[in-house]
Amino acid sequence: MKIKKVAIANRGEVAVRIIKACEELGLQTVLLHSEADRQSRAFRMADQTICIGPSPTNESYLNIQANIQGAIAAGADAVHPGFGFLSENADFAAECEKSGLTFIGPSADSIRRLGDKISFKKMAMAAGLPLIPGYEGDDQSIERLLSEVEKIGLPVIVKAAAGGGGRGMKLIRQHSEAKELIESAQREALSAFGSEKVFLEKYLEKAKHIEFQIFGDSTGKIVHLFDRECSVQRRHQKIIEEATSPSLTDDLRRKMGEVAVTIASLANYKSAGTVEFLLQDGHFYLLEVNTRLQVEHPVTEEVLGVDLVKMQILTAMNQFVFDAKDIRIPKGHSIECRVYAENPYMNGIPSTGLLGSVHWPEGPRRRFEFGFEKGDTITSFYDPMIAKVIVWDESRPRAIEKMIRVLKDSTVFGVHTNIPYLIAILSHDEFIQGTMTTRFIEKYFSEGLKSNHNEDERKKKSIQAYKDYLKQQNPVANTGTTVNSPWMSFWRGV
Amino acid sequence: MKIERVDQKVWFKDGAEIWSYDLADLSAEGQRRKKSQSSTPDLILAQMPGKITKVFVKEGDSVVQGQPLLVMEAMKMEYTLKSDLNTTVEKVHVTLGQQMTVGASLIQLKKVEA
Repeated sequence: MKIKKVAIANRGEVAVRIIKACEELGLQTVLLHSEADRQSRAFRMADQTICIGPSPTNESYLNIQANIQGAIAAGADAVHPGFGFLSENADFAAECEKSGLTFIGPSADSIRRLGDKISFKKMAMAAGLPLIPGYEGDDQSIERLLSEVEKIGLPVIVKAAAGGGGRGMKLIRQHSEAKELIESAQREALSAFGSEKVFLEKYLEKAKHIEFQIFGDSTGKIVHLFDRECSVQRRHQKIIEEATSPSLTDDLRRKMGEVAVTIASLANYKSAGTVEFLLQDGHFYLLEVNTRLQVEHPVTEEVLGVDLVKMQILTAMNQFVFDAKDIRIPKGHSIECRVYAENPYMNGIPSTGLLGSVHWPEGPRRRFEFGFEKGDTITSFYDPMIAKVIVWDESRPRAIEKMIRVLKDSTVFGVHTNIPYLIAILSHDEFIQGTMTTRFIEKYFSEGLKSNHNEDERKKKSIQAYKDYLKQQNPVANTGTTVNSPWMSFWRGV
Repeated sequence: MKIERVDQKVWFKDGAEIWSYDLADLSAEGQRRKKSQSSTPDLILAQMPGKITKVFVKEGDSVVQGQPLLVMEAMKMEYTLKSDLNTTVEKVHVTLGQQMTVGASLIQLKKVEA
């Protein structure tokens, strides 16, 4: 398969990530974007850009035909879907291939078999792989769903059948709130994925979220690239991820890795994917397979020294092949923090607006994946993640220390971010011990952060600082004094 | 300390802390202005920009503390606004699908004497 120009059917930091990989491989790029994303880093970086529709996602980023027509119009021969949006949409993968575009990812058939959580479970069950008790039947009436909730026993989680990334997921703790939560999950599922089908599952109270990166090369060989832990989640949205997990014994790592490769092999998996597990009391359960690149892929790249996006593109070109002798061993520890545009002191409500200065403190083994810069606007149309900060160090404690330093030195003006929230999590005993479960946020940070500054003092300080700032901005007008700078007189004499 | 004006706000960073004030709050007039009225539990305001995706109550309904009143969606996440009072609904200011700005009045509950 020859690829010369790659269309990117995505936005934000992942679009930037893909453009960089393409540039390094000498490939041309075309960004397929919505009207809202003309002011973004990916837009400025791509060789070519095509507006495929208005800001709402279902009229642009989720519109299959708009993306395909855009890619064809630009003369692209391949499409990279990134993550979210159409990345796990089998119809999109199939339509791409039908239109002569190479879909950079697994086949439509693999996506269908693994991505639809119900067919995935049937496949796993048939192969004797460990699953969590639940209900995934076709009877989606509210009466049936409520009676299944009773049967499974609380707590029960409701999930979008076609979902991923926490959208359309709700946790039922009391029977009195079951109806409202199921209906809410159905609405979110419908608006995010176009299908309101949900399924139910027993919620494990003190489980850890562990996942394995899998990869199928162009010869059909499937390997796993070790594990990540993503137990720090809020409303099932991951916040902090790390590689490798601090919770796995060698024995568990080997067993879970085998299960991950088995399920991927059953679907003839090609390209990058992720097999998610829950781990509780030494038992692990298969959760789902994400048939795409994962948001947190950089932590795997950091501990293994690989480039998963390039591997995806080369695989699509039938070029990437794993060397059997090349046994990779994870080295050191990597952590990723997702920077969300939200106000941590107001329980995480979204924060939108024009970005002022944005500064990420560069340094050895610090990586900043961001899609927006000064002058860009963060809108409420899309996901609130504006950047990812990734660090690597020789040990987990050092990586934590480093991440805290990096976050403290980062500046984002114009919108509020969850950076103080991230620092508080990284400083929490349970996180430092590595014993956190998926209930960590609910247990310790459900109310967001309480600000403990002295408001009067802060305001006084701010007023003074702003006065000084105005003087600096316009020294002559404000002070009325003559400026005797040699530079000023020099320029006057020119 | 880092400082920068962005649009109608001024942003500050001191050490690891970042905060902002409305431009008006830093002016002489803003300093005299009385503290912004704290939200009262009987008036439900939009705390973020977003779309109304569900309204559970209508005027005249009685509600209890913790009862969901409406659902807003922004950045693909749903937020349920609940009543803090045991009272009745006086006025619903919104309709389904309506796009709201920050601070917009959504629902007026009947005041309850402390």
